[in-house]
Amino acid sequence: MAHTKQTLLERRYSLLGLLLIAPTVLVFCAVIVYPLISAIYLSLFSIYTPTLDGEWVGLQNYATLLAKGEFWYSLRTNLIWTVGTLSLQIVFGIGMALVLHQNIWFRSLARSLILFPYFISTVVAVLVWKWLFNDLYGILNHLMMGAGLIEFPIDYLGSMPNAMVSVILVGAWKYFPFVVIAVLARLQTIPGQLYEAARIDGAGPIARFFDVTLPQLREVLVVIVMLRAIWDFKEFDLIFLLTGGGPVTSTQTLPLLVYKEAFSLNQMGMATAYAVIMMLIMLVFMVLYIRRTRTEDGL
Amino acid sequence: MADVIFSDVQKRFGSFVAVQNLNLDIRQGEFVSLLGPSGCGKTTTLRMLAGLEFPTSGEIRIGERVVNDVAPGDRDIAMVFQSYALYPHMSVGQNIAYPLKKRRVPKAERARMVARTAEMLQLTALLDRKPKQLSGGQQQRVALGRALVRDPKVFLLDEPLSNLDAKLRGYMRAELVELHQRLGRTMVYVTHDQLEAMTMSDRIAIMEGGALQQFAPPQEVYRAPANRFVAGFIGTPGMNLIDGALARDGNTWRFEAPALQLEARGLGPDARPGEACLGIRPEALTLGSGALRGVVQLVEQTGHENIVVLRVGEDLRLTGRAPGHTIWKPGETIPFAIDADAAHYFAAGPAGARLNARRSGPHESGDAISITNNMREAHQ
Repeated sequence: MAHTKQTLLERRYSLLGLLLIAPTVLVFCAVIVYPLISAIYLSLFSIYTPTLDGEWVGLQNYATLLAKGEFWYSLRTNLIWTVGTLSLQIVFGIGMALVLHQNIWFRSLARSLILFPYFISTVVAVLVWKWLFNDLYGILNHLMMGAGLIEFPIDYLGSMPNAMVSVILVGAWKYFPFVVIAVLARLQTIPGQLYEAARIDGAGPIARFFDVTLPQLREVLVVIVMLRAIWDFKEFDLIFLLTGGGPVTSTQTLPLLVYKEAFSLNQMGMATAYAVIMMLIMLVFMVLYIRRTRTEDGL
Repeated sequence: MADVIFSDVQKRFGSFVAVQNLNLDIRQGEFVSLLGPSGCGKTTTLRMLAGLEFPTSGEIRIGERVVNDVAPGDRDIAMVFQSYALYPHMSVGQNIAYPLKKRRVPKAERARMVARTAEMLQLTALLDRKPKQLSGGQQQRVALGRALVRDPKVFLLDEPLSNLDAKLRGYMRAELVELHQRLGRTMVYVTHDQLEAMTMSDRIAIMEGGALQQFAPPQEVYRAPANRFVAGFIGTPGMNLIDGALARDGNTWRFEAPALQLEARGLGPDARPGEACLGIRPEALTLGSGALRGVVQLVEQTGHENIVVLRVGEDLRLTGRAPGHTIWKPGETIPFAIDADAAHYFAAGPAGARLNARRSGPHESGDAISITNNMREAHQ
């Protein structure tokens, strides 16, 4: 087919289009593309953090970290944390959204209050949880001993697997409101007639949840899982403040390891190598996840 | 034996009475339409029958069983919704099979029943599609299929054709009537479209303000409307309703309005001198000849006929029908006549009861008489 020549007006529109997207593209390059390339570049050096001086080592950093037990151990910890806290967030989030979707008393108040953990500063939240968990004067141990459930105080943060369970629970508490809000918004758009049709078709409450509600929530859950998986995978402050990665390295996820390499061991090159690997892992997961959900939708 | 019975059923939402003292006997195998304007209580009535709303008082029976406390899924009914309410993530086949699945029909049996239903509704080629890949008419048929597959005692249809375009609606009307004849099942059909109600129903229950106005076959509703509301609601163009007064002179009655006097024939025992309303169907006006005179205000051409609006006297407007070839112009004064034998008379007020004497005809059933009497009591 012959290529038709653009008219003057079309060329002017094209030029205008380029001008309009140019600022965004420039900002995107400055704050995302440059740091990314810079990080990949840095990861090929051995760099002393305080001076940022270093020498070219090629892929040596990657070879070292992949051969290190600490990397694989942290990756495993990171996956346990992510899967654990994300599952709890989804389960509690959907459950709470279903409750708040009902015509209960003080519904508006409850809907606002549920956001509280999400809005509160992580530092404050962690501080409060550390008090609650404290093995000497924490209220949790006090109450459980008072109730006769335990004989001796439990060390929630200083021993395993307690520390991991605690971190996962606090993470779930902190971030499940996000799931509640997103799911609640979707629940409100499900046509009521679908439930009525299901009731007439003989579906009980449980069948209605699995046959009407859950399929309708699917799309929003895909987005929630994707976003929350990324955010949880790279979660730093909550874990750092609660356990500092301890006991020893039991709750040391990859972001904590990156921090340790960069600012405790002063190995900036090594740290960026970890960060790049982290990014690749997330990328692989996201691609697999999106693929899978697409095929299930029959698209 | 009646298949569906409403006895003194009332439904309140707070202080709002959606349905008041409804008595309705729907016979087995009958096609009954609940007809009325928005907010008349017809949908609430259907939803109570479906078990989606609970009556505030009264009793609903399906067959021998009082179903007030029976869950929707256990009432042996099926419902077609206005929005079709197809499960969007399920294929057509899964949608149709769903009510069977929930009733634990074995898989092989299920497949056979779905195949049979699909064939009946010409859906076989679409069984693997998702609802959103179908046209409105196809979705409608899937919704019907989901209702049909189980062969329930009663079919409930909530304005099922209102989302279809005019042509498809006409086609589906015929399909539904045929389906009803073939299955012989009781069908309760909610609509605000009098054409659907008139063309499809064995009997029409006309509702207004939560109250049943008349429950009778289409012809009777048209020829002997039980009150002024029904008279005005049924028929396109609507019946001419003229406020005036009845006067008695020995054995003859006269109807008198400022612009019109008429000998009132065929009045029943309830007629009293005083305020009343005269109702004349457009086809009971003879245009072009007669002793009366009117000025043509408006001519609406529909092709085979013209709808003519006449001004009589100062402010009386009468609508009549004339053959399509008549060529009256607005402003023209033409003669016309009123068929006094075809006049309807109603007591004063928006739901004034019919005052004509009852003619014993093939269309006036015993049920209708008792209902009309109930209505008269209700409105006094």
